[in-house]
Amino acid sequence: MAVIVAVWREEKHDEMSEAANGTEPQLDLGWMDRTGPWDTRAEPGKYGLTIADISIGEYGEAPEVSDNLTGRPRGAAARPASYRIGAYAVRSKNEIWLDNASFLYEEALQRQWSSATDVPWHTIEPLPDDVEQAECQLATFLTEVEFVAGDVPARWVSLTTPDFYEPRQVLLAQVMDESRHMDVFRKRALANGGGLMQATGATAGFVGSIDLSRDFTEMSSRLHISGEGAVLTLFRMGELMAQNEAEKVIYRLCAQDEARHVAFGVMHLRYMSETAPERREEIHCYLDEAEGGLIGAANPVGQLTPTSESMAIILGGGKEHFDDGMNKIIAIRRRQLQEYRKRVVSAGFGERFENGRSRVAQLIEEAAA
Amino acid sequence: MADKAAAKPSPPDRPAPKPVPAKSTQSDEKRNFEPKYNWMDKTRQWGVRVKPGKAGLKLGDLNVGIYGETPTQWTDQSRNPRGAVPRRGMPPVGYAIRDKAGLWADCAADLYEEAIQRRWAPATDVPWDTIEPLPDDIEHALCQVCTELVSYANVDIETITGWQHQMSYGYHEVKQFLATASFDAARHYECFRKRALANGGGLGLEGPGMVNRMILESRGGWTEAVVYLLVLRGAFTLTLYRYLGRYAHNDAERFIFAHALADKARHVTYALDHLKYAVAHADDQLQVVRTLIAIGEGGLTRDLRDPVLREALAVIFGGGVAKAAHRGMAVYGEMMRDYVATYLGYCEWLGMPRDPARLPPPLNEFANPPDAGA
Ligand SMILES: [Fe+2]
Ligand SMILES: [Fe+2]
Repeated sequence: MAVIVAVWREEKHDEMSEAANGTEPQLDLGWMDRTGPWDTRAEPGKYGLTIADISIGEYGEAPEVSDNLTGRPRGAAARPASYRIGAYAVRSKNEIWLDNASFLYEEALQRQWSSATDVPWHTIEPLPDDVEQAECQLATFLTEVEFVAGDVPARWVSLTTPDFYEPRQVLLAQVMDESRHMDVFRKRALANGGGLMQATGATAGFVGSIDLSRDFTEMSSRLHISGEGAVLTLFRMGELMAQNEAEKVIYRLCAQDEARHVAFGVMHLRYMSETAPERREEIHCYLDEAEGGLIGAANPVGQLTPTSESMAIILGGGKEHFDDGMNKIIAIRRRQLQEYRKRVVSAGFGERFENGRSRVAQLIEEAAA
Repeated sequence: MADKAAAKPSPPDRPAPKPVPAKSTQSDEKRNFEPKYNWMDKTRQWGVRVKPGKAGLKLGDLNVGIYGETPTQWTDQSRNPRGAVPRRGMPPVGYAIRDKAGLWADCAADLYEEAIQRRWAPATDVPWDTIEPLPDDIEHALCQVCTELVSYANVDIETITGWQHQMSYGYHEVKQFLATASFDAARHYECFRKRALANGGGLGLEGPGMVNRMILESRGGWTEAVVYLLVLRGAFTLTLYRYLGRYAHNDAERFIFAHALADKARHVTYALDHLKYAVAHADDQLQVVRTLIAIGEGGLTRDLRDPVLREALAVIFGGGVAKAAHRGMAVYGEMMRDYVATYLGYCEWLGMPRDPARLPPPLNEFANPPDAGA
């Protein structure tokens, strides 16, 4: 360190010293000729000045493969002497891109909410003990799983070149959303005479889990398409699950956020499918695994686990109506599977439901029996 | 082995073999399922009823009883929520930061809620229509400064997201606060880009990147990243925002710099609170931070020697190239003195006062009033 500092100290003082001691410096101003494309005038539209509005001219062109290793903003003039700072793992556009990132990001900004002040907490009334325990078990599960969807996208953001800043922005909004989800369910567990219960371990470091993906699309198919898709269906059934207005609001607002996260996954898969057909078989393999997750223990209506029991109590309205609750669980599972199939078709991988590769149609049938 | 040899491999482009249908049906499942209820009554503390206060039900309000206990080490490597009954035998997720001293700040929960209350949307909250064409030299200068600020936000984003997932769940308040901080940075990233592209200009020249690299290479832990990102760079960025707000040309710029300043002030508040906690609770940390600061000052000085940002700021502060060398540079000097004073104040508050004479030149000269420096 001493050596480094000594080298800096030996550098001659220049105009910065002159600024310090008040003498008049000479300006170079050479930087004025070193810019990205000039005369750019992005205009705000109906939704303000969005990131779609500034994607104009060369500034809107994300490269197929990014050679940006200094982290410079896309379109800025490069400085050959600048330090290389980015050992970015994600440098190919089709690995992370989607066409509607601007829309999802700007919508996320408009629809941020506060779990402290936007949830009518005063509407929560004491519940029978079995129902409160069930609520708290479900809230414990959701507190545990929600931030996987924060931790993992955050890590991928740090690995992605800023040349693909639009998808990165959406993922950053997702991290924020998940943080709020984690906290709103913790708040629910501690707001009504209960407490947290037992963790499920649903997100431990199993091989094949969301944490361990080595490829962004692999991660996205597990997280956005399978995991969050399943959670989205649950949240959309919030009207059935909620015991009061506060819970209805929680589920509705969380569903709104999850819908964006799922849309990211679907739109990214669609882009990947269109631009990298050579990866389709690989993606099908990810979807095979994702479908396993959909009917696995991490999904409270996928397999019957302690969380499913708590959901059956909530949906039935008490232990004595457990069977009613179970019927609703199976109905939610059916809806989950149907929505999953729709998303995969929309992403361009629908043939798996035609050629017998996917078990989803059979599972939907069974859930209807 | 014999079976394996006999099996006919399916060609890669053919669908995988149809799975054998499960024997049981869903109706069987419903009929046969007997609830065990063995999860019931498994809680470490029951009967908690946190009531919303005047500012709603805040994250920090939840810290009652065992739910507020944050031990100095968090050994659980799962995503077990703090206060829940752990499930034994779970494979670890693998967190690098498991010591409270490595990330904690008492103010994190409050800063988290504050960030949410003070959220803003650059697309719609900034009065973009107040931007009018500026003289070419000033537009060039502002676009250059915005280019640097986009890069600063980029380093905020990459650094915070690179550490966040390595933090244990026992200290969720910090993870959650950092989610707001990286989201703030996302907003700054797009907002300064938007400003650069909104008024007949464009992006300028990328910065030299010494400090960026130093921040991203903070391999010694999150605390080291905090020193570089949020104290050295953070205090500098805060000062820049303050001066750029003062010399703004229209309401849009005033709005942008005021809001970016409020966001950044939260980040710096967390940083100071964390460092205070870290030096008080981790052996040798005071000396380590002191050393990091000395290294960091060197890196910062190196970036500051590059004329581009300085000249661009001088053009803005001087109101054009004509007055940049004299008036502009004088304001730049004033800004730097403000920065150094703020920074030295932070060091003092942290219990590691810096001798201005030992700052690397010419930072040391900005530690003095203008006349005394000559
Ligand atoms: Fe979520
Ligand atoms: Fe989500």
